[in-house]
Amino acid sequence: MNTPTPAKPRTLLEIRDFSLSFRQSTQLAVDHVSLKMAAGRTLGLVGASGAGKSSIARAILRLVKPDAGEILFRGEDIYRMSAPDLKATRQRIQMVFQDPSVSLSPRRTVEQTLLEPLQHFAIGDTDEQQGRIREILRTVGLDDSTLHRYPNQFSSGQQQRIAIARALVTEPDLLIADEAVASLDVSIQAQILQLIQTLQTDFGISILFISHDLAVIRQIADDVAVMYQGQLLEQSTADKFFSEPAHPYSKTLLSFAKGNTPGRWSGDKWHLLRGQKSLGKRAKCVYAGFCGDKLDVCEEREPALHDIQFKNQHAAAPHCVKCHLYDGVKNDDH
Amino acid sequence: MSIPALKVTNLSVWFEKDSERLKVVDQISFSIEAGDATGLVGESGCGKTMTAMAILGLLSKPGIKVCSDGIEVNGRNISTLTTAGRRSVLGRDIAMIFQQPATALDPVFTIGQQIGAVYRRHGGGDKQQTRKSMLEALESVGFRDARDIAASYPHELSGGMRQLTMIAMATVCKPAVIIADEPTTALDNSTRALILERLKHLQKLHRTAILFISHDLAVVRHICRDVLVMYCGRLIESTDCQNLFSHARHPYSAGLLSCIPQISGERPPAIKSIPGQLPPLTDLPVGCHFAPRCNRVEAQCRTSVPALDYENGRGAACFRPL
Repeated sequence: MNTPTPAKPRTLLEIRDFSLSFRQSTQLAVDHVSLKMAAGRTLGLVGASGAGKSSIARAILRLVKPDAGEILFRGEDIYRMSAPDLKATRQRIQMVFQDPSVSLSPRRTVEQTLLEPLQHFAIGDTDEQQGRIREILRTVGLDDSTLHRYPNQFSSGQQQRIAIARALVTEPDLLIADEAVASLDVSIQAQILQLIQTLQTDFGISILFISHDLAVIRQIADDVAVMYQGQLLEQSTADKFFSEPAHPYSKTLLSFAKGNTPGRWSGDKWHLLRGQKSLGKRAKCVYAGFCGDKLDVCEEREPALHDIQFKNQHAAAPHCVKCHLYDGVKNDDH
Repeated sequence: MSIPALKVTNLSVWFEKDSERLKVVDQISFSIEAGDATGLVGESGCGKTMTAMAILGLLSKPGIKVCSDGIEVNGRNISTLTTAGRRSVLGRDIAMIFQQPATALDPVFTIGQQIGAVYRRHGGGDKQQTRKSMLEALESVGFRDARDIAASYPHELSGGMRQLTMIAMATVCKPAVIIADEPTTALDNSTRALILERLKHLQKLHRTAILFISHDLAVVRHICRDVLVMYCGRLIESTDCQNLFSHARHPYSAGLLSCIPQISGERPPAIKSIPGQLPPLTDLPVGCHFAPRCNRVEAQCRTSVPALDYENGRGAACFRPL
């Protein structure tokens, strides 16, 4: 399979035309999203609250039932897997949640918390398990003395380290971090980001890093995907995204993150507060109502996801943008 | 010089637990002029919120002791007020915006009822006058459909909108001082930008003094002129924002600054962090509290406490400032 050309790395996870809705709502929480994740890289998933970021994370773990589409992990659709296969796959995909004080069980010691995944997946015998949890604790910067303590005896930064240790103890291929540093102080956030970066270099795992904070994404991600109201609007490498964002929404996001706040209060910024509710009719671009570069066609048709990757570019990730402004741009033009 | 809108002198707070005394705020003094915003920054657990609660007089609980040489709002000492006296001051002269609007707002009353209640409490006049002021307050934070918002319950609004209604509630009596405790921490980037812009606008309009509590230096830089840095209950640096970002003098302030991730076209180098963690209150180091984590530490730091020395209006509590 190995070709001498600098080919794209192996795809670890592929989401194909995936849609998801919640019971009470006719609105799709995830709206025909297609996304690829390369092995050993970090994909930063950004967007405002309610854009569907966490729904994607939950879908990858098969915690929700999709309306349509498939999610392929190493080429196999996780929604069509048999129970034993699914269990084996879940060992390979682990998650770290936003608030460690909620995601760790308050009635279990660190030892119990860390042993549970090993027992569930029947990894190693008792001695091996004990060795493994001590090793993983050292990896995340804690020592053995923490084993018999409860989560409330730790600071938030230490709790998040324990949560990361719990996720990594099964040696996953894919780590999903859903706003894993959002509830932490800047100083603790820096320590946890450092830890995640080190772990990725050492273990070579792929990370799906969900965050609304673009500065954090810039720090940690190799690739960036932007979501807005359930749709994927752009995916590119982080270098490309932060120097030349393609989609008008990406540009808005980036200018907000850089602190260029609007000079005056204007009505067209309200959508940023309101989230999903203000959505009008479908069958057009989701961002059309607020887009500064709107064309007539944006009100009429939903744009396709264009691949605007330069042909001679050896980037690992595709560069896709879902916008009518790129209708004429084809791969071959470059 | 004019009378500052808020002047705090030697404020201390400690917990009394068994026979132990745990100092959470240690001899803090600062003042804010009308129309200025001052940031109070530091890690979780360094005493920022305790300072705010002590200023508002909300810490009269068993086991907590507050002590100060005066907390003055427009020259009037509010630290010696009775409970009834304080009620007439809170909301009218000094107001607070909390971090979590979802928990600070009452879920069973409409937004309009809650803002109206604050106005009426301070002798705001009849029903019509109350309603008018309430709608004005909502409009002043940017709501176009103030009537709809007033009729909504908190759960019907998004997080950002709830925080805007909190700001409307805090400003309905046009207080001299607003204490904003992490008002944007729970919000995403774009919403945060809008909330800050509104807060700035109202501050200019009413010449309100704002004490802006945050662990996020980037946000403080955006809205504040001066900044106070706290560590383990002590003020360790007091300067203006520009200076802090260009030339932080205390090693802890410099460390905090290096923790902020930056957005750039180039991939940034690996992020720096401050080694170690906050010492527990029960086991604070003698001398400078930051000494065990400091890379410029010397013998003196471990034995005596550096005072907050001012030099051209910029203070740093450090024996070896940068």
